[in-house]
Amino acid sequence: MTSPDPTLPAALRRWSRLRRARFPVLAGGALVLLLALAGAQFMEPSEPEPVGGPPMMRRLTEAQYRAIIADIFGPQVPVTGRFEKAVRVGGMIAIGTGSAGISPFAIEQYDASAQGIAAAVMSPSRRNRYLTCGPSDVRRFDQPCATQFLNQNGRLLFRRALTPAETNKYVGLARRATGQLGNFHRGLELSLYTMLIAPDFLFRIEHAKPGLDGRPGELDAYSRASRIAFFLTGSTPDDALLRAAEQGELDRPGGVERQAERLMATPRYEQAVRSFFADMMQFDRFGDLSKDPAIYPAFNSDLAEDAQEQTLRTVVEHLVTKRGDYRDLFTTRDTFLTRSLGVVYRTPVPQRGEWVPATFAPSAHRAGIQSQVAFLSLHSHPGRTSPTLRGYAVRQIFLCQDVPDPPATVNFTAIEASAHRPNVTARDRIFQHATDASCAGCHKVMDPLGLTLENYDGLGTFRQRENGALIDTSGSLDGTDFDTTDGLANALHDHPETPRCVAERMYKAAVGRDITWNERYYLDWLIGRFAADDYRIPDLMRRIVTSAEFFATTRPVMPGTLVRADARTIAGDRL
Amino acid sequence: MALRHRIGRKGVLLAAGVVLAVGSLVTYSYRAPARLQAGGGSFLRDGTAGFVVTDIAYALGPDTQDTPACPQGMSLDVSQIFAASPDGQQRPGEDDEAYTKRKEAGGKALSATADGRDYCTNPALAPVDTHARLLLDPRARAEGIDLDGKISRSPADARSGKLDFVGIDGTKGVDNQFWRAVGCNRSYQSRGQSNGFKIEMYSGSWGILIKLDGVDDLRNDDSIKVGLYANADPLQVSPTRNALEYATYAMDADKRFRAETTGRIRDGLLTTDPVDVRFHHVVNGMYLERPLRDARMQATLSPHGVLKGFLAGYSPVEAIYNYQFGFRDAKDAAGKPTLQRAVASANGAARVLGHTCPGMWQSLHRMADGHRDAKSGAFTSISTQYRIEARPAFVVDVLTHSKNDKLVRND
Repeated sequence: MTSPDPTLPAALRRWSRLRRARFPVLAGGALVLLLALAGAQFMEPSEPEPVGGPPMMRRLTEAQYRAIIADIFGPQVPVTGRFEKAVRVGGMIAIGTGSAGISPFAIEQYDASAQGIAAAVMSPSRRNRYLTCGPSDVRRFDQPCATQFLNQNGRLLFRRALTPAETNKYVGLARRATGQLGNFHRGLELSLYTMLIAPDFLFRIEHAKPGLDGRPGELDAYSRASRIAFFLTGSTPDDALLRAAEQGELDRPGGVERQAERLMATPRYEQAVRSFFADMMQFDRFGDLSKDPAIYPAFNSDLAEDAQEQTLRTVVEHLVTKRGDYRDLFTTRDTFLTRSLGVVYRTPVPQRGEWVPATFAPSAHRAGIQSQVAFLSLHSHPGRTSPTLRGYAVRQIFLCQDVPDPPATVNFTAIEASAHRPNVTARDRIFQHATDASCAGCHKVMDPLGLTLENYDGLGTFRQRENGALIDTSGSLDGTDFDTTDGLANALHDHPETPRCVAERMYKAAVGRDITWNERYYLDWLIGRFAADDYRIPDLMRRIVTSAEFFATTRPVMPGTLVRADARTIAGDRL
Repeated sequence: MALRHRIGRKGVLLAAGVVLAVGSLVTYSYRAPARLQAGGGSFLRDGTAGFVVTDIAYALGPDTQDTPACPQGMSLDVSQIFAASPDGQQRPGEDDEAYTKRKEAGGKALSATADGRDYCTNPALAPVDTHARLLLDPRARAEGIDLDGKISRSPADARSGKLDFVGIDGTKGVDNQFWRAVGCNRSYQSRGQSNGFKIEMYSGSWGILIKLDGVDDLRNDDSIKVGLYANADPLQVSPTRNALEYATYAMDADKRFRAETTGRIRDGLLTTDPVDVRFHHVVNGMYLERPLRDARMQATLSPHGVLKGFLAGYSPVEAIYNYQFGFRDAKDAAGKPTLQRAVASANGAARVLGHTCPGMWQSLHRMADGHRDAKSGAFTSISTQYRIEARPAFVVDVLTHSKNDKLVRND
């Protein structure tokens, strides 16, 4: 050991001595820390043995359909058909797609969309973007070119490579159409249209490989790619993901992780998060929302759009951009505003026609997405608020708690008649809920939440009085009492079901079905990991995608067979 | 050392500048977007209250048509004047359609000089319109406020026509000479068309903002700052075309359309000190300016922030003729003069609304009562009163632009 350099200042000399003296201690400490970290890795609860669920056949949602067409052919290609109302199961359309049928109206609309898309893609002004080949005489059929075009686009549309039989079918169709119509591009257009109305495009049909030794089966590579892509991007697998599936990368260690990281780094990931929360918060219902213009003059279609966009921007900024704690979504004051929204929030928004990042002052009484216009206006009546609807929505949407439907004989007359009577508040109007035994059972779990939200009118403007009377905003949530909207926000933040609900919803949306009985252990593990990850949604999504359970299937299958989700079983080969 | 010599001091400074510039760019690019601090609450915040005018009309008086207030009847348009002449009588055997056409042609002939110079554009060239009627009845009443602090009710005032009104609410000394100039015109009756100029305000063509600063007490405050601005943004309206409260609007960037003065609130009545103001006015796709000299406001302020009362002052005679009757200085959306449209609109309006351009020009000059020209001794402005209602709004001072700017510019 050498002495400290005497030319050094006294303080530095002391530090130098201290450092040398403590080096072995520090080194030892570091070693202990490293061992502790390594131990922590081993101590992290591992995923339960996968048990799986049935493979699914899921109809594309409108958002997915539009995203796929935009991804494959570009956003300028129009989707002209209308989409029928989606079926929501378990609170999510993403789950409903696994049990939804298809009506004659929907088929007509799919047909119209397919015709429009195929015509746009093969239009003289656009086709050169998609076709790198073609006959010198358009009246002649160019088989190699048609094969290349149809295989390439068929792979993206069907989310798997076309089988030789399918290639022959679509190329043959294009050949016959070229002969009859006298135009190569019209021939391709007809084949493309046929693909766009094929079940293989309109439905996400999952295929499973059987498990060995009684273990669960698992999705095949293409089906894995689809699950990953739709969950993380809200759209079809891109070329790189399909290639990874084809080359077996998704079966190799780290293969799924690499693809997940890649996709989560794209702008499409934000879109997937937006789609999930739009679905969870039931924003599709805005299409049916109406407000009495005499009572809520600020409501119009622009405001309805801005309200949804505000909440989705809040969600994405908080969960994705800032990687924030999911629970803080119920207390955050950070949001985005437009001038239309400024009218409802009664706050100035200087920029016109722009989204402005904003933070609500504590005095503004706006904490959390449940205090935003989208939630408040969607869960109100056209001419008045509804503590019941809002309380129900909080329980159902954010806490995944079911409340039975009201009896068919429910009589709203008394409530409607006093809606705008002087000195009458919602609490007075729904007094019957508490006094009528047939109502009280359900309303006592919904109304106390909604009564605190009475601080916002049916559109979402803050108020302290209704019909001239001071509003009593006292309420409670599962044992936590509060009398302000901030109190409700904190109660939602701290409620144990809040993170559990979103984790459960997210997994269900990812696999397109309810969980099976045996998956409850997996779900407990997932929620535990969500907590350990500080309730970060990107981490939760990554955990889901990279877990064995995500691809596990339960359907009993005979060895050596492939199972299609539509129950047709063919030994040895894919249909 | 050699290197430093080669680069030189300037080079070192330049390099340092580049490093700083790049550094600041990098810093800028990583800066989080500035967040708006969003509030909530009543219309008065930190002593400031903003308003957008939601209703405006000339403050006039009770209808005069078919009353002794206009003993010679109402003013005539050129077609009616021609019809009243010997040549304008319906000839035997002349059917109604042919007669109507002849009356229109005869009226048109009265609308320009012999060499074709249009009277709406050149009203000074026209002879006196003996069919233009004025509201000279001393018993006539009018809405408005006393602008000059005088009560002009003498016989001389009556003879000159510069007679103050007794207000409908009993206010004495109401200066509203514009009402005297137009009071015997059919289009300025309560169901007339000339007072409907707020239609363009609701379609987003123009608007007026009011801002009060330094307000400590909404009921009584002896010293407040008052801003009167042209609105640079379109009025935000409900699906039923009612103006929305608490919308945000930017004041016009052009200083000519911004006026600031002082005022006071007593028992909830806001009174402001005189200031020259200027607003936009749009009619028939023509862009005009509406100035008002020594304008003052007298309005009650409700607890919910509704400002209701009068905005009154003196309209320069040539200016009020231009934006209300002749449109001589009208411009199109791109700011270019649009004389052809102005001539057609002015003559068409005169014909439909029941006046002549020269008649109105002469009436305005005759009734003028403000801003006497030092040389000629003639009054150059006419007292004008507007009834206004304004509702809570956020008035901001930012550059604003429309999403349709490119369409307007035909880019």
